[in-house]
Amino acid sequence: MTEAIIKFKWIIVVVVIALTVFLGYQIKNLQINSDVIDSLPDDDPDAVLFKRIGEEFGGNNMGIVILETDNIYKTEVLRHISQITDTIKNIEGISSVTSLTNIIDIKGGDFGIEIGKLVDEYDFPETVEQLQMLMERVNSKDLYSGSIVSKDGTATLVIFTLENYSTVKTIAEEVKQKVLALDLPENIYFTGSPMLVTYISDLIRTDLIRLIPIAFLLIAFILFLSFRSIQGVVLPLLTTTIAIIWTIGIMVLIGFQMSMISNNIPIILLAVGTAYTIHVINRINQLKETNMDRAIKMALKYITIPVILAALTTVVGFISFIFGAYLKMIRDFGIFTAMGTFFAMLLSLVFVPAIISMISKPRKSKNDIEVRVRKSYLSSNFLTPLKILLFKHPKYILISWTVLLLISVFGIFLIKRSVNIQEYFKKGNPTRLAEQIMEQKFSGTKPIFVLFQGDMQSPEVLKMMIKTEEYMKQSPDIKNTQSVADLIVEISDVLGEGRKIPDEKDQIEQLWFLIDGNETLQRFVSDDLEQGIILSNFVSPENSAKKAFASYMRKFIDENSSPECKIQITGMPFVDITMDRSLINSQMGSLSIAIVFVLIIVALILKSFPSGVYATIPIIAAIVILFGFMGFAGIPLNIATVLVASVALGIGIDYSIHIISHFNHSYARSQDVVVALEETIMISGKAIVINVISVSAGFLVLIFSQMVPLQYFGMLIALSMLGSSQGALTLLPVILILVYRRKKR
Amino acid sequence: MKALTIVTTLFILTLFFPAFPLKAQNADELLAKMDQLMNAPNDKQGIVEITLIKKSEKEKVREAQMMQKDGKRLYRYTQPENQAGIATLSLPDDVMWLYMPAFGKPKKISLLAKSQAFTGTDFSYEDMEAKTYAERYAPKLLETNADNYMLELTPKDEKSDYSKIVLTQNKQYYYPEKMEYYDKGGDKRKEATYIYQKIGKYWNASEVVMTDLKKDHQTKITMTDVKFDQGLSDDVFSVENLEQPKE
Repeated sequence: MTEAIIKFKWIIVVVVIALTVFLGYQIKNLQINSDVIDSLPDDDPDAVLFKRIGEEFGGNNMGIVILETDNIYKTEVLRHISQITDTIKNIEGISSVTSLTNIIDIKGGDFGIEIGKLVDEYDFPETVEQLQMLMERVNSKDLYSGSIVSKDGTATLVIFTLENYSTVKTIAEEVKQKVLALDLPENIYFTGSPMLVTYISDLIRTDLIRLIPIAFLLIAFILFLSFRSIQGVVLPLLTTTIAIIWTIGIMVLIGFQMSMISNNIPIILLAVGTAYTIHVINRINQLKETNMDRAIKMALKYITIPVILAALTTVVGFISFIFGAYLKMIRDFGIFTAMGTFFAMLLSLVFVPAIISMISKPRKSKNDIEVRVRKSYLSSNFLTPLKILLFKHPKYILISWTVLLLISVFGIFLIKRSVNIQEYFKKGNPTRLAEQIMEQKFSGTKPIFVLFQGDMQSPEVLKMMIKTEEYMKQSPDIKNTQSVADLIVEISDVLGEGRKIPDEKDQIEQLWFLIDGNETLQRFVSDDLEQGIILSNFVSPENSAKKAFASYMRKFIDENSSPECKIQITGMPFVDITMDRSLINSQMGSLSIAIVFVLIIVALILKSFPSGVYATIPIIAAIVILFGFMGFAGIPLNIATVLVASVALGIGIDYSIHIISHFNHSYARSQDVVVALEETIMISGKAIVINVISVSAGFLVLIFSQMVPLQYFGMLIALSMLGSSQGALTLLPVILILVYRRKKR
Repeated sequence: MKALTIVTTLFILTLFFPAFPLKAQNADELLAKMDQLMNAPNDKQGIVEITLIKKSEKEKVREAQMMQKDGKRLYRYTQPENQAGIATLSLPDDVMWLYMPAFGKPKKISLLAKSQAFTGTDFSYEDMEAKTYAERYAPKLLETNADNYMLELTPKDEKSDYSKIVLTQNKQYYYPEKMEYYDKGGDKRKEATYIYQKIGKYWNASEVVMTDLKKDHQTKITMTDVKFDQGLSDDVFSVENLEQPKE
């Protein structure tokens, strides 16, 4: 195989370049999809119903502009609301806009019915009395108060719907730009699914543009410090870049989109993928062979298996997300990162030797000397003291680890879980502020749908809807509900027939004449009038509140659902409950799969089951510390941090593998634990320290991410790298010392 | 010499037929002629079929008997079945009476906001107003081509939903063929196309299709069994008559 690589080096290089150009070209079609709803699984009935209703009734197409000031009942403020309304109305792709200044006001009385506007946009109320009258009118109706205008009169909403969801980003962008261009003195915020999705896409894009160069430069710098050669910097970065291009290119080619999780694939591959090339170059450089092709062949003979295995364990860590992950985007992330890791490994074993063989000049044997000289700094300041400590006080080290682990175990019980999307944004972020206003002054933004299947024109069904709404409103987290039944009650009222659902079906059918074809109607009932929904929002972000509400509603539905009027409930809070539960399952699932597979792989490599167990101890210890840290630091388990443990396992196990295999190798030769360990720590220890620094640096770049979960992700991986490397350098040798001492006895 | 003659002739022609003042005068006349054509009969009645068309959805059809006289319009619905018997009487000055058999007494509805869609159609109350076009819009002749006059109509009422309407008028008979409605942002919002037929001595719109370009929604109104000048009495257009149809 090595022969072939050198023989066909030109073909290899050309094929790699051609593939890279082809796949790189695909990247221009890369789309970002930041819609969590798209990522909900097809096997969770709550999520399926939620998606279905969102699509059929268009609930996901609604965007909101919030205008906040001290008092909105001022002529000037009304004029500004009207400006926003008109601006949005004139944007292509907006199908309707509702605001205080254009909402229809229907009054009923002895004089008949008067259909007018709440505010005459051509003759704004100006006097104190007129403004007072408007305020009283708004506060008299639930339709306005708490839904269009906050009860305290300090905030108001301009609600718009998109005609077609496929163009959501361009339209949302235009809404934002044009509204901000009005340069109004009031506070303006944007929220609602289209705005949020677009905003997150922006964050993903800025993250990609900002973070990749930083990670690139940082890793280049570390590589330069470690190798002090252009080759040592360029080749690892080149192979990882190619692996990234291939991965993203294939992702685009087979129709996947970039999600808020997969956008960190490039950073992860940069951090992880460089290691394989480093190993290959390192091994070639260490050989004193002057004929380069022969050096490559010899190096590959040694290094191929270890590199494959190191990559394999990492791949297993990523692949483990396929099992037990709730969101599709996490599963996709696992698949593509695993793919990228595989490419990085493949390229380092095939492409790198081909390139080196191509560009190499006859070597001077100077390299070795330099390497040995540089080794000394790290050796004398860290590795030698470490070595002395290990042999002098193995039990102290063991006790320190035990104490640390016990404390960490205690911390594990403090870990919180979070599926609240607001926590993805940094504090003080406008989206987070918008959410706060929606929660405090309006009815929240987490949609709830209650689906009714039955005859939407039957008095019984409509009365059941009203009953359900009244029941829902008794929950502290439901402030507002809307349905077609409310519309019917409203019309019945203005017609002077009383604030109720008419008792006769023909009355309802005739009332329908007035609302038929109305746009708002489509939000509430299906075209065939066999399905209808109650639209509501849930206020509290707390999981306990969501759970309480779910069981509160399930009880009602069990008692009231019937074949004539089948009731089902779903919504973001319900999805959140399942997602929350799945975080634990997903964590346990992926972690146990990863541990088992890694244990098997390591045992096979080392051809000994006990060695496999010893190798996994440091990494498991590192993961325990990781979870303990999360508990004490208050970092919640969320869709990003749930990935850390398995990724850390996949990468961190390499350190133990290096230590154990090197130790076994030396021990077989010397039959002396002390000698074997000394050699292992002085040589492999150095490689490990360099690797930890470069991998951690790569992941720490994520601290500059715009999204909080990714910041945590980067930080926690770096922490785990530190933990697993320290485990491999201290805990593992101590275990080996103690095990071999016992053996001797 | 010959060239000179042509130039002179052209010059003289322009003197006699000054283009621009003529056009300005024409616009008002053209619109007046359209109003005249539309309001020529003393009264009118027929069967109106209203079809609501939305892509991907089932078409909805309503049918009503329509009677019209002096800016008053009565619709008595016959289809769909469960809305049969509902009747509306539109009177000038934005007042509409609604009768629903299941509720008894007719209800008076005052329309203060005309941009609202008329019960699910793509026509707004503004589009359906009984007033003549000349009363509501100021016309300007944009161009004249082989078959049509193109007029730009600017609403006289600032509360109108439109910034302008571009009217394509039949050159020979002055009836409208197409109206394009522009919103205040200057974008084309709706479009109506007309098919006119001559029945007896009057022209009548046998089919009107209004398309809401933004909502991708259409309303088709066809009129059959049209009769003119049947001497409909004013009593037909009374509120009392909504309840008990007088034949």
